[in-house]
Amino acid sequence: MDAPVRDVSEGSPLEVEVDGLRKTFGRREVLRGLSFGVERGGFLVMFGPNGAGKTTTLRVLATLLTPGKGSVRVAGHDVREDPMPVRRAVGLISHSPMLYLDLTAQENLRFYADMYGLEDREERITELLERLELTHRRYDVVRTFSKGMRQRLAIARAILHRPRVLLLDEPHSGLDPRAVDILDGLLGEIREEHTFVMVTHHIQKGLELATRLMIVDGGKIVWEHAAGVAPDTFNAVYREHVQDGSAL
Amino acid sequence: MAGRQFMAILRKDLIRELRTREMLVSMFLFVMLALVIFHYAFGVDTDADLTYFTGGMLWVTFIFSALLGLNRSFAQEKDEQCLDGLLLCPVDRVTIFFAKTSGNLVFLLIIQAVSVPVFTLFFIERSYLADLGLFVLVLLLADLGICTLGTLLATISMSTRARDLLLPIVFLPLIVPVLIAATSATTAIFADGADLGGLAARLGFLAAFDAVFMIAAYGTYDFAIGE
Repeated sequence: MDAPVRDVSEGSPLEVEVDGLRKTFGRREVLRGLSFGVERGGFLVMFGPNGAGKTTTLRVLATLLTPGKGSVRVAGHDVREDPMPVRRAVGLISHSPMLYLDLTAQENLRFYADMYGLEDREERITELLERLELTHRRYDVVRTFSKGMRQRLAIARAILHRPRVLLLDEPHSGLDPRAVDILDGLLGEIREEHTFVMVTHHIQKGLELATRLMIVDGGKIVWEHAAGVAPDTFNAVYREHVQDGSAL
Repeated sequence: MAGRQFMAILRKDLIRELRTREMLVSMFLFVMLALVIFHYAFGVDTDADLTYFTGGMLWVTFIFSALLGLNRSFAQEKDEQCLDGLLLCPVDRVTIFFAKTSGNLVFLLIIQAVSVPVFTLFFIERSYLADLGLFVLVLLLADLGICTLGTLLATISMSTRARDLLLPIVFLPLIVPVLIAATSATTAIFADGADLGGLAARLGFLAAFDAVFMIAAYGTYDFAIGE
């Protein structure tokens, strides 16, 4: 059942390449030598308990944290040496929408469109607001939005600049069923255009979407496998590696 | 691209502040309260000559007022992790610094545009209209120093738990040279009038202070705003 950790130098062109990633906060080592790769168009789903290092990994991929040791390349660029092209290539959907609550939906998207230098700003904003069913709230300040609507607008913010790599940090967290449907529909629509790395506790969703599965615990990859694992099997594997503490 | 990003950040800060007035209202109330207190504390009614205190009164008020604004200027970025959204963008960190500094400068200038006429009405007996250009030059150079240093330190302190406490503790000692130069230049203008030559040393000092901290921010802002 267990597959060896992928050698980042082999296989199809890799959009995300992580080799020996280590990260320390103070004296606590949060990431302890992570190595993995995601091929173009792939969908890697990372599972693991709280504090395993999943979000830290995403933040390193997004250039929000610098790697301590090891090499991290996204869209062919080193995140430490060449962060600007990485930022152009990456979109991040997190628990928090990263939206200015006192600006309207349109003002928020215009702001980010200008920051990414979008030429077709207005057309793109209109297209995304329609796609995410937020056109009727275009001129309302975000503070008046429900959590689900804010998360939908956060999705628009994240894919506004057409990123090659989309990083998803528990994107279903806090969403109402309608927002979950919209998010899943959107992920299905844009699946071909992007490479994904998703962190989630939602096993069913993760198994449905993934082309590759990974369990991280204690800053290390404790299990990695290609997609196609049945939920029951995955639950057993997860319990074996995480919940009974054998991998801790 | 950097110009468009600069304008986007500045526009965003201005729209947000004009909509909420969080910073402007607190800064304005502080300035007005300080002027009223000075007015009664120094007994203007008894015809005391306050001319040689006016520069000090004005700049102490402006510096504490600016501190109120600086403390708030990054608070909105921390809400809903907007700072992460900003740092995810392909923007040179120095562009963020200059845009945030410019925003703080605009807010300080708005407060000064309202409070200087009131201050003049309360405390200045001599007309300084002939020296208005020089006074505005002192104001701009000192404001630039306050906002440059203040924005840099507000960025560093925003990630700390005691940011409301840390910023004044670090900012006030470092801004003293600006306070001294601006106070003496302003007092000279209000008291006797002054020409550019007479204030050259103080203006040169203010300009040098601005340049030093802009260069310091240019070299260090990537680290200051990073993890």
